[in-house]
Amino acid sequence: MKVLIVEDNKELASGISDYLNGEKYICELAYDFEAAREKLLLFTYDCILLDIMLPDGNGLELLKVIRKENISSGVLIISAKDALDDKVNGLEGGADDYVTKPFHLPELHARLRAIYRRKKLEGSSNLITFNEIVLNTDTVEATVNNTLLDVTRKEFDLLLYFVVNKNRVLSKQSIAAHLWGDYTDSLANFDFVYQHVKNLRKKISAAQGIDYIETVYGLGYKFNTSKT
Amino acid sequence: MKLLNKVTIWFVGIVFLITPITMIISRTNIKRNLDQAEVERMREVNDRVARQLEAGEKPDRYTHGRPIAILPIQGPLPAEKESVVIDNFVSEDLGQKECRITVNSFYQVGDQAYEISSFNYVIKSEEIFKGMLSAVVWKVLLILLAVSLTARLLSKKVFKPFHRTMKAIHQFDLKQKQPIQLPPTSTKEFQELNSFIKKMTDKAMDDYAAVKEFSENASHELQTPLAVIRSKLELLSETNIDGTQAALIGDMQNAIEKLSHINRSLLLLTKLENQEYKAYETIKFCRVTKEVIAMYDDWLSMKEITLTTSLDKNIPLIIHPSLAEMLISNLMSNAIRHNHEKGMIRVELTRKDFCISNTGLPPEIPTHELFQRFKKSNQSNESIGLGLAIVKQICEVNGFLITYEYQNGWHLIRIVFEPGKKGDSIRSAKELETVTI
Repeated sequence: MKVLIVEDNKELASGISDYLNGEKYICELAYDFEAAREKLLLFTYDCILLDIMLPDGNGLELLKVIRKENISSGVLIISAKDALDDKVNGLEGGADDYVTKPFHLPELHARLRAIYRRKKLEGSSNLITFNEIVLNTDTVEATVNNTLLDVTRKEFDLLLYFVVNKNRVLSKQSIAAHLWGDYTDSLANFDFVYQHVKNLRKKISAAQGIDYIETVYGLGYKFNTSKT
Repeated sequence: MKLLNKVTIWFVGIVFLITPITMIISRTNIKRNLDQAEVERMREVNDRVARQLEAGEKPDRYTHGRPIAILPIQGPLPAEKESVVIDNFVSEDLGQKECRITVNSFYQVGDQAYEISSFNYVIKSEEIFKGMLSAVVWKVLLILLAVSLTARLLSKKVFKPFHRTMKAIHQFDLKQKQPIQLPPTSTKEFQELNSFIKKMTDKAMDDYAAVKEFSENASHELQTPLAVIRSKLELLSETNIDGTQAALIGDMQNAIEKLSHINRSLLLLTKLENQEYKAYETIKFCRVTKEVIAMYDDWLSMKEITLTTSLDKNIPLIIHPSLAEMLISNLMSNAIRHNHEKGMIRVELTRKDFCISNTGLPPEIPTHELFQRFKKSNQSNESIGLGLAIVKQICEVNGFLITYEYQNGWHLIRIVFEPGKKGDSIRSAKELETVTI
């Protein structure tokens, strides 16, 4: 996947690109409006990460350019403003999704994947397969070795999050934010994360699946693909 | 009291105070001048009589029919050539007060000394006073009438610019970003007032814009570094680290989580204060409530909390949809967090109000203080203490009334949608009854 990261903060841009490079994506960086516009007109990208506040212009203006030039890339807006107007304007302006700073990199990645699936693969790939695990994002069904897992919506989301961010350390905070949103007010979420992960592992093991999910001491969990 | 009435009353008061004083002064003056004139005249008469005596004429011409007495006296002339006696007495035959002035003059005619005395009855000070009194009553009445009439007529004209300025201030709205328009006036005080108000509102508008800008900027400026730290920590946790380092990173991630949450909540509060979430359309509050409550299923089941709901249907409310969601979800998470294992939560929604009550430990500080920012019942608690402050602010923005009570192990938070309507207090009492059972 080829991604254009439009973000004026160089450290953040490089952080995102480091993470996405780990997924074997090709990332290009644009630190301002003009550079982004130029790149958009010259090259094609599968996805664009777009910061709204740029030193020389508004990211929403860039959305207009994207629409005018019929660029078919998926657009994920990153903004520090979680003002509602911005969200609505962004989505009405042709963006596919919206994350607010400070986001978790796995979350960003998961959303990027979702956009990619929807937009580039045109929904043909509503099945996400990893070895014996198959996830159907349309029907919200998970199967392991062709056995249907009896998972809740939250557990399905959790498994999907793990599969998309495989071999990554997923912090408890990031999982909590993914499952319950940003406004959960840190409701001692981490016990709940533990509960959900435990249940999920139990259910996968019960279906004779490999227990890929391992605990990373002090941090969270990891979907370790090298487990057999 | 109206300014006009105040000024009138003061003015009338001053008139009433000054009038007796001036009356006394003028009475004394009139009386003294009258007496003086009389004394002058009688002295003149005495002088003439003395001159006639000297000339050897009979003083009949002056003494005849006049209250005058000529007495030859023994011995030398007294040192004082003249003495004036003013008598106030009650005359016996008339039975009324009289005032008599006697002028005694002493002359030396040849070898003989004479005392010539003239006297006359003069007007009494009471009589002057009586005459003045009726005049003064009329004067005061006329002044009162004139003052109150002209004040009323004049004030309409004089205060017109003031009233127009008041109206302009009343209609001024900081959020509309329209500079205030004040009518021109020729009165210096009102000109000053207008220029002052103009300056003040302009300043307020500038400040308001600055605060809004600041909140937006603060958001951007703080969220970006937070995003950098968070993403770098996530990258760091991917590297080859040992257990101690992992624990350190975990702690940092917790702190960042909290920091970003505080930042977001404070910004939300600022935006609420700036009235940025104006609601223009009605939403179905019952549906929002149901949806939000459903989101907390996980928490409820994990803490084994029993939830009882009684939600009336079809409750339209004018509130921004995001605020409605945030309101319910803050209250819900609050009710869950401060509950104990296997506790209970009761949610009730009617057309009039929304009530959420939960079991839990008694609050350590007065319940109303829990609406203040960063106030927590238990200071060591994981929460940041902004949830209820946000709830309160949302209620204020939408004109709802919120109360928090604690009774018999139940925390009851109640939001009245249209405070001031009748029948609310009755419901509150009922509510408590059912809760305490």
